[in-house]
Order: sequence, then structure tokens, then C-alpha cells
Amino acid sequence: METEKLYDIWAKRNPQWETKYEKSIIKIFTDYGKGATNFREARGKLFGAGYEIFIIAFFIGLYYNLRRPLIEDSTQRKTFGQPIQYWGNLDSAKGRKSYPKLKEFIFIALIARTDIDFISLDKEDGINSRKAVDMLMQTMEEYANWGFHFIMDKLIDDPNHFYKETAFLEIFLAFDASPKDSPIEEMPDPLD
Amino acid sequence: MILEKLIIKNFRSYYSDNTFVLSKGLTLIIGDNGDGKTTFFEALEWLFDTSTDNKNVSNVSEKRKSELEIGETDEVSVSLFFEHNGHKELEKSFMFEKNANGVNTKNFKFIGYNNEGVERISINGKNLLESCFDTVIRKYCLFKGERDLNVFNNDTALKTLVDTFSGIKKFDELYDLTSEFERKSQDVVTRELKNDKKQKNEIDRIESDLSQVSQEIRVIKIDIDNKERKVNEFANKIRLLEENQDACENYQKIKERIKKKQEEKSKLIAFASLDYNSALLDDYWVLRPFPSIIDEFQKKISLLSREKRKLEKDENERIAIEKGKKEAIENIQKLANGAVPLPWNLPDKQTMQEMIDEEVCKVCGRPAPKGSEPYIFMTQKLNEYLEHVKNETNKKQQEERIKPLFLNHYINELNTRSIQLSGDTERTISCIASNIAERLEYIQSRKNDLEKINKDLQEAEDAKVQLLIQNNELTEEILDKNFRDFKGLTDSNKKTELDLAELKRTLGELERRKADLKAEQNNLTPTNVNVKIFQKVHTSFEKIMDAFLAAKNNNISEFIYTLEQEANKYLVKLNANDFHGTVRLIRTTNDSARITLFSSNGSQVHNPSGSQLTTMYMSVLFAISNITTLKREQDYPLIFDAPSSSLGYDKQEEYYNLIDKLDKQCIIVTKDFLVDSDKKIKDLNMDKINKLTSSVYRITKIEGFNQSDLSTIQTQIIPIKN
Repeated sequence: METEKLYDIWAKRNPQWETKYEKSIIKIFTDYGKGATNFREARGKLFGAGYEIFIIAFFIGLYYNLRRPLIEDSTQRKTFGQPIQYWGNLDSAKGRKSYPKLKEFIFIALIARTDIDFISLDKEDGINSRKAVDMLMQTMEEYANWGFHFIMDKLIDDPNHFYKETAFLEIFLAFDASPKDSPIEEMPDPLD
Repeated sequence: MILEKLIIKNFRSYYSDNTFVLSKGLTLIIGDNGDGKTTFFEALEWLFDTSTDNKNVSNVSEKRKSELEIGETDEVSVSLFFEHNGHKELEKSFMFEKNANGVNTKNFKFIGYNNEGVERISINGKNLLESCFDTVIRKYCLFKGERDLNVFNNDTALKTLVDTFSGIKKFDELYDLTSEFERKSQDVVTRELKNDKKQKNEIDRIESDLSQVSQEIRVIKIDIDNKERKVNEFANKIRLLEENQDACENYQKIKERIKKKQEEKSKLIAFASLDYNSALLDDYWVLRPFPSIIDEFQKKISLLSREKRKLEKDENERIAIEKGKKEAIENIQKLANGAVPLPWNLPDKQTMQEMIDEEVCKVCGRPAPKGSEPYIFMTQKLNEYLEHVKNETNKKQQEERIKPLFLNHYINELNTRSIQLSGDTERTISCIASNIAERLEYIQSRKNDLEKINKDLQEAEDAKVQLLIQNNELTEEILDKNFRDFKGLTDSNKKTELDLAELKRTLGELERRKADLKAEQNNLTPTNVNVKIFQKVHTSFEKIMDAFLAAKNNNISEFIYTLEQEANKYLVKLNANDFHGTVRLIRTTNDSARITLFSSNGSQVHNPSGSQLTTMYMSVLFAISNITTLKREQDYPLIFDAPSSSLGYDKQEEYYNLIDKLDKQCIIVTKDFLVDSDKKIKDLNMDKINKLTSSVYRITKIEGFNQSDLSTIQTQIIPIKN
């Protein structure tokens, strides 16, 4: 029986974000709301599609390992025009390349950081795939939300901060790039 | 005429009394720009001005003006003491008075004094000046600035010289007189001939032809004049280009350099730039810190996978126990320490087969010879694999009957994903950090290169500016066009020269034709006897007129020749050990002359250097002065303003010493012998000055002056040498 992969179920979804970041961040740094991303050059925005700044915000929250729950009021939340499965599928125009694999890494990070009882999920005991993916999305949204908050803080201090061409890069240069140095510990199996 | 003393009082920057005692030979007056050199000269010019009574308030010393109280007066004066058939004085002055609105001037005086014995007789200044040092002479004695040195720039200069010194004025009068006779007599003849009906037509024809030819001759002469001027212009332009060949070549080189550097710069700019934000996504730079997350994930999944397999194993065991000893394929051999076995598909069939065939375990490296425990373990595992594959359907049927423990395979999916991460993917992610570092380093390197190129560019631009400053006759446009122009100019020049030759030939023909017509006119046989007499008279007058014309021309030629000879004597002296060559004065059609230089092998020096030019002109001037002396039986001083600024630095003392020895009184006002520095008041180069034989004065602004306040500026005279 061919059940849908967990990854694919997740990729059909579309994360939410708080509308308060629409004017102050998303529209400033991306072409969100203005049509096809291949007009980016003409407008001079740093990024193309709206989800791109979301991805950046997500990774900021992920690496800091800090989350921020979304606002309860659903009228103050929005989604992007494209579900995750389309993220990174750019046509290579105007000096950009496509980055289709990035979303797989996002998925991996979400699995690592979300406390899902996979055993029960595989048993289909008390939790189903939809619920599991909900939890993954919550992790995703909360990391991104924290990331947006982080960006907002910087903009309040200096509205031009991110116009320095290496401003975003520098955030990611500050994190440790090495893998955790301990090799996989051989955990002894419990005696049956 | 020998100048003895000059006193300048309150004339512009010369505050109060300033006395120059002048040597019989050379007096050098040394000053920097703005020190009062030109003012010295202009004071003399003011003194010698006989055309106006100039009491302009602009000539009054600002400093003295500022010192006066209202109602107070003082005077501006320039006095010259000289010897010219006795000791004489010339003084020009006026009073100035401070009032509420400024300063007004009055009481202009121009007086000469004759000192005869003890008596001092005053006479009209203008008269004294004209009788001792008249306007014409002064024209060849006073030279302000280097351009004035080419005396023949002015068309009538030669004519004036010739008129004044060659006594040719008489010839002119005679020529004019005889021309008139010729004309009048011709008119008489023509009138009489016209009365003769027979000849009338002939006469009319000849007359009209003559008038036409004369007109053509006039036109051609103008043409020739223009073309000669053009040839001269070309010569000057070509000279300019040739002189500046070096500058032009350098300019081209600098331009090339600049172009090259700018090309390099644009290339570098491309390499030095990067879209860092796009790279975060497109190049996965945002995954730089991701390795630890991969780690987390793999560990978590590994644990999950193990746990699931354990549960599965336990479940299977339970089923097996419940259903008795069923040979379930899942009933796997126990492992040595009770550990959970690997899933049925790991290691894969190929790996297992390989290990069995080679009788070694390739994970721990220990040998597994046939029949040994490890060998049996491996073969059984392989069989299990094969059974499992074979018994897929059986298994499925069995599974349908038994409700499986695990309905979903998400953990398997995640496990597969985890395994896929190992190897290349993991390595790629780990490399991102170093890729970024390398890239940033590369960009920084390019930025450093860019900085260097910008510096180089700036240096080249500076060099270009320097070049233009040093050659301030030239603009960038000229330098650029130079080489291309050169060929064009020489071609145009050749053409003009050819045209000129053609024109001159035509002129010759026309003049022959005119002469022929005149002869025809003269040979007309009248019937009236009186007319024949008139004709003879006319012919005589014509011959006399021609004779005077020839004499006049000879006179001019002789004068020029004499001038040339004299000039060349001076040229030799002034050049001392240097280039010799000769000066040649070449007559031009409009009765003037050009001063040219020829080298000893007879070819013209088309582009003499600055110092050669100066020496050339000075030689001619000294020659003229000599001729003046001869004709007037009086010597006259030569007063130059800065004529040697184009001489090389080394030549200066030599040059002045030569002039000092010339047995002529010279006063030269110059910037030479000042030591170049940033000082406001430059020092004198005493080493060189001590080698001079002449008198030396230094004029300088008094210290503590304010550039923008004229009343603080005062020229101070310092005698250096006598």
C-alpha cells in the first residue's frame, strides 16, 4: 500500500506568519504582493518571493533555538501564495538559481526539533499524520516568528541595517559551523 | 646717453624714495613675481610718456595714501639723472591729497633740468626727452616682456627702422616726386594721343588693358601676401608640434595607461561584487551552521529506528510464542549479546555475497573462513534475505491475517532520509563554511586589487595634469590631435607653398605683360610731333622713377644686410661656447622682415629653443642699437624686462656676464637667481650672484605684508653689488 510520505504531506502545507510583519519586513525585503519575482531587479528588493524572507527568519530562530508562539487572533495571521513544495523552484533568470533541496533540510530540522511520538504515529495510536504535520508546522512557524522578531528589533535600532550587503550573511556567520563533536555514543541495548 | 640714477617715489608699490644707481655696463634688478619688477618698468614708461599728462590716482602708493590724514598731501615722482652732452635730469611728478572721499591728484609737472656747470636750468620735460631720447629710439630701447623682443612682429617696424636709420627718407620723397612726374607726363601723352583719331582706339585699348593688368597685379600681390602669411603660420604650428613631440608622446602613453587601468578596474569590480543575500538561498549558505542539526536528526532517527525494530522484534517473538514454533521468517537468529539484529535488507545482498565469497567480515575485518561461526551467520543472513524476498507474498498473506503492530512506515521513511544524508550530502553541507570563507577571502583580495588600481589610476591622472601644467601652451585637445594633425599640416603646407610658387610665377608674367603694354604705349607713333616729344619726356621720367625705386630697394637690402652682419657678431658673443649658426633677416613682400635662424650647414633651424630665440632677438636688438649709435653718434641704454626666463638654468650668469662686457648700458629686470622654495620671500642664490660682474639690486616686498591689502605692500630695494 502506497501511503503518502510524511514529507509530502508536510510539503503541501503553507506556514502562517503574523501580519504585523507584512509592511515592516516582508514587503520591504521581498516582492511579496507585487507579482512575479522576476521583477526583482527592477525594484531593487533584496529577495524575490515573500517566502524567502520567511526562510531566513526560520533559520535565524532555528539556530538560536528560540521560538515565539504566533498570535492567537487568526485575523492577524496570513500565509504565502505558494505551499512549501514550490519553494526554491525558481527559473534561473536574472542571476538567481533554484534551490529545491532547501526545503528538505527544513523538514529534517523540524523533525529533529519537534517532539512527536513517532512510534505511536507508526502504530497510529493516538496520533495521525495530519496531527504530526500540524506539530511540525507549529515548530516551523514559531521559529520563523522569533526570527521576524529578531529582524524587527534590528530595524528599530537602525532602519538601514539590512541594506548593508553582508548584513544577513553576518547573522549566519556568527553561529558555530561544526557538527557536534561527540561521535554517536554506543548506547547499550536494554536486555530483553 | 648714459643713465646714472633713477629715483622712484610713491609710485605704486614703491613707497617714499627709492634710488637705483645704475652701472655703465649691466645693472640687474632681481625680483620675484609681485615684488615690483614690472612696476619698475612701468615707472619708466610713465616717465617717458609724452602723449598724456597722466596723474592717475591708481599710480599712487597705497601705503602712503593710507598714512595720510585728511588734508595732508604728498607727491608721486619719478626722476632720472643721465648724461647726454652734459648732465641732465628728467622729472615727472604730481601731488596727491587725502580728502573725505579718498584721494585727489593735481599739479602735474614734467620738467627737465640741464646741469651746466653750477647752474641748473629747467626746461620743458617733453622737449628735453624728445631731444635726448626720442620716441623712435625708445621703441628699440625699452622692452617689456619677452614677446616684445621680436621687433619685427609689427609690419611697419622694419620700415620705421629703415626710415630712421638709413637716411632713406630722401629717397622716398624723390621717388614720390618722380612718380608724380611720370604719371603727369603719361597723362599728357595719353590726352594728346586721344585727340589723334587714328590712335584713339589703340590708346583706349592699351589703357584698358593696362588698367586690367594693374588690377590683376594688385589682386595677386594680396594673394601672395596671404599665402606667405599662411606658410608662416604653418611653420609656427609645425614648430609647436615638433617642440611638443615629447609632451605628445608622453600624453599618449599616459592615455594608454589610463585606458588599460580602467579596463582592469571594470573587470575587478565584477569579481569583487557578490549578491550575498541570494547566495544564502541559491548556494545554501544559510545551511552553514546546519551540520549539528543533521547530527541531531540522525541520532534521533537512529534511536527511533532501533526502538521500532526492537518493538517489532518483541512483537514477532510474542507472535511466535503464541502461535507456537512457527517458522516465521522474521524469527531471526539471535545475535551474540542479545542485541537487536539489523533489518532484513541490511547489509544488502551484494555486500553479503561479497563477504561470503571472500570469507571475511568487511565491517570488523576479521576472517570468516568456510565453516566458521561468522561464516555460517553470514550465509544464514543471506538466506534470510533471499527467503524474505521470495516469501513476500506469503508474508503479506500472513500479515493480513495478523494485525500488524505498525500500520505506518514513517520511521522507515525518516530512516531512509537519514541514511541518504550520510556520505556526499553530509560532506557537502560541512564544506559550506569553508566555501563561504574562501569566497569572502577571494572577494577581499579583489577589493584590495581594486584599491591598488584606483591608486594607479589616480597617479596616472595626476601625471596627465602635471604634463598639462608644464606645457601650458598645450591643451589636452592639441596633445590628442597632435600626431594626426602633423601629417595634415605638412600636406597643407606643401600645397600652399606650391600655390605660392605658382602665384609668384603668374605675378612675374603679369608684370612682364604690364611692361610690354607700357612699351607699346610708348611706341605708339603719333602723327603729331609734339606728342612724340611728350612721349620721350615721359620715358625719361619713367626711367628716373625706376632708378629711384631700385635705389630705395637697394638701400633697404643694404640696411638689412648690415643689420644681419652686426646681429651675427652679437650672436657669436652671446652664444659663447654654444650653438653658433647665423641670423638671417628675410624680407617679406610688405616691406617688413622676418628674423630667422640658420645652422652652419645652411639649413634653417625651424624650431629654435627658447634660449636660442631670446639670444637671436637680443642680437638683432643690440645690432639695431649699434646702428643707432653709429648714425646718431650717441649711445643709448637698453632696458629689458625679464628677457631670459627661457634660458636654461645653467646659462644665466654666463649670459649676463657677456652682456656686461658688451660695452653697452643695459638694465635688466628679472626673476633669475632666486632660489625656488615655499618661502614668501625667496632667497638669492649668492653663489651665482658672486660670479656676476654686473651691478645687482634686489627688489622685494617688505615682510609682514597682507596679500589682500595693498596698503601693506611696499617694495624695498636692496643693493647687492656694485
